[in-house]
Amino acid sequence: MKKVMALLISFSMLLLAACSGGSNQEISSGGSESSNNDSSSVDEKVIEFWHFATGEREALLEEATQKFEEENPGVKVNVLRMPNDAYKQKLSVAMAGGNPPDVFQSWGGGWLRHFVDQGNVLDITDKVDKDHYLELALNNGTFDEKVYGVPLGLALDVVFYNNEIFEEHGLEEPKTYEEFTEVIKTLKENNVIPIALTNQSKWPGSYYLMNFASRIAGPDLFDSAFHRKGRGFDDPAYVEAGRYIQDLVKMEAFNPGFNGIPYDEGRGRQLLYSGQAAMINIQSSFLNNVRLEAPEFEEKLDFFLFPSVPEGKGDQTQVGGSTGPVWSVYSKSEHPDLAAEFIKALTSKELAQKYTETGALTGIKGVVPNDEFVKKFYDVAQHASHIQMPYDQTLPPELAELHKDTTQALFGLSMTPEEAAEKMEERAKEFLD
Amino acid sequence: MNTQDVEMNRSKAVTKVAQQANYKNFKKAMTIVLFIAPALLVYVVYVLYPILATSIYSFYSWDGTSNKTFIGLQNYIQLFNDAIFWTSLTNNFWVVFTSVFVQIPLGLIMALMLFAPIKGLRFFNSVYFLPFLMSTVAVGLLWVFLFDPIDGIINQLITFFGFQNVEWLSNENTAMFAILLVVVWQFAPFYMILFKAAIVGISDDLYEAAQIDGANALHKFFHITLPLLVPTIVTSSILAIVGSLKAFDIFYIMTGGGPNHATELMGTYMFKQAFINFNMGYASAIAFVMFLIALIVTVIIQVIDYSRKKKGAYS
Repeated sequence: MKKVMALLISFSMLLLAACSGGSNQEISSGGSESSNNDSSSVDEKVIEFWHFATGEREALLEEATQKFEEENPGVKVNVLRMPNDAYKQKLSVAMAGGNPPDVFQSWGGGWLRHFVDQGNVLDITDKVDKDHYLELALNNGTFDEKVYGVPLGLALDVVFYNNEIFEEHGLEEPKTYEEFTEVIKTLKENNVIPIALTNQSKWPGSYYLMNFASRIAGPDLFDSAFHRKGRGFDDPAYVEAGRYIQDLVKMEAFNPGFNGIPYDEGRGRQLLYSGQAAMINIQSSFLNNVRLEAPEFEEKLDFFLFPSVPEGKGDQTQVGGSTGPVWSVYSKSEHPDLAAEFIKALTSKELAQKYTETGALTGIKGVVPNDEFVKKFYDVAQHASHIQMPYDQTLPPELAELHKDTTQALFGLSMTPEEAAEKMEERAKEFLD
Repeated sequence: MNTQDVEMNRSKAVTKVAQQANYKNFKKAMTIVLFIAPALLVYVVYVLYPILATSIYSFYSWDGTSNKTFIGLQNYIQLFNDAIFWTSLTNNFWVVFTSVFVQIPLGLIMALMLFAPIKGLRFFNSVYFLPFLMSTVAVGLLWVFLFDPIDGIINQLITFFGFQNVEWLSNENTAMFAILLVVVWQFAPFYMILFKAAIVGISDDLYEAAQIDGANALHKFFHITLPLLVPTIVTSSILAIVGSLKAFDIFYIMTGGGPNHATELMGTYMFKQAFINFNMGYASAIAFVMFLIALIVTVIIQVIDYSRKKKGAYS
């Protein structure tokens, strides 16, 4: 008898151990299988939806999700939101592990492309109306003429500043690098941190390299280096851009310890809100953060475009920009059509119009922002001669990481511009040639 | 009854006894197997199989989802020529070093202090143990704010004493030191608890006898407490070394391995290769090297401990 008991117990333990591995999967896909004894969940279709929008934007997405659920009875959308940097990793892990969400957010570009190449992203060319979107924005989610992602938002890369501080010290928006350094010097003399930088996250610093390179050699430089059409990442312009960066570091234009401060936690933004720092070069979506975190600061907020450099081939009509959120569907989603409908709902004109009120432009045609501040972004975009998507979103992931690593090292003065450029080109040859 | 029959009967009985014994042994073995089966199965599925799989992946070029290409030892060749890997290995060594030579002695001192005749022992007991109870993510973020280069508490403190602000986490020379400080702060209490438990287990008779022989506190410590703690020290060392080789979370949260790989560990480097650069094969090679190092170190410690026990010294 005892033996039988022992056998039973150990057997049941075995079963338990064997089951625990797969149970997660079963819960998430349980709705579609009809063997469930709970009858109400039998015909409920579940769409998993991951994003990293914050503040008003999160609320807007919530609203759009609810509306979608109302319009499609029996459909349940599970929303999971997480911070930017954590999101990147969680999605990558999920993609590698084979259980990503049905609908997910990205920025388009090289990062999305990587998942496309793995066969994890659904081709939605026939499911969406291309004319609904701005071509430039849609391009960022289009590879080999197939659409894999549709853009809701479009952000520009500008230099925000505190106009109260500028007025107090009689400063004006700088148009050239010379004026820019004058502003920095004046601010320093008055014990204001000229520029806030949170470069532990690495991408905030990368704006400077991109902007300087574009101002020095014009907007074609990156395209030519990326598509291997004559120029490389060791182009003299990239070396010079590195020198400009180190020039700024040496004149102590940034807050101390910038390479150790992460962006998401908000320390850099706090410096600006509290008036300790005067400027920050970042995406226009910074406005959304301001409205969420320090609404009273918006009065003092203004922006200018990255200054031009002496004898540079680029000018201020060439701006940096990025698409995002870009919505995509997982290729093995159980409800691909429904998921496609959902991302259409997430890029509706109505939602886009509301989205502009959160301080962003949109990738949807014919949406003119009502918001005063956003209109200024809109004007910049309208007059832009070229919009440069961020390198780290365009390049393949490993090269993108190297670009950010070398740029961080440039800021830390632990690598010379020549070394950084050489390292990039060496790797680029491996990946792009 | 003739003798032959007796012989037959006897041999029959002998074989029967032998058979019975065999059967009993078999049943015993079966019971043992059944009892360890659940744990063994979990162990095989979640420990042995992944290790084996990792070693196999490390011979491939693989991005995690699409097709694998067999490239032999290429990953390992690349690994041993990779400067960042060597940096992370050195950093791992520093973590091991501080864990063994700072954390464990500190834990011991803290444990001894809790046996001292001072007021508020319970209070100190809880306070000392507190850091270990906090989640690593919270600890990491907390210290990021403490180390804030502009007006963090630590910098305010050192400027108060007339020193310059230090950019703790963004300076390549201080970042490693800053994080090691946090690691020690967080994990020393763990060893304190281990030592405390071991010290409680030491019989008072020994101290009494020593007292009679005229030993002072130092004598007692070096000739009774310390020798009797050696087994605990060995266990702690294994835990500390293996734990340090696998270190990841606090570094990942506080610096992400930066700036310029100054605080990169094998763990963080592996994670980056796997989930940011999508080089699963290469990451597997790093993971397997980590496993080998941990295995070798553990075996060495066990062998030393075994020969120590054989000599019969204390314990």
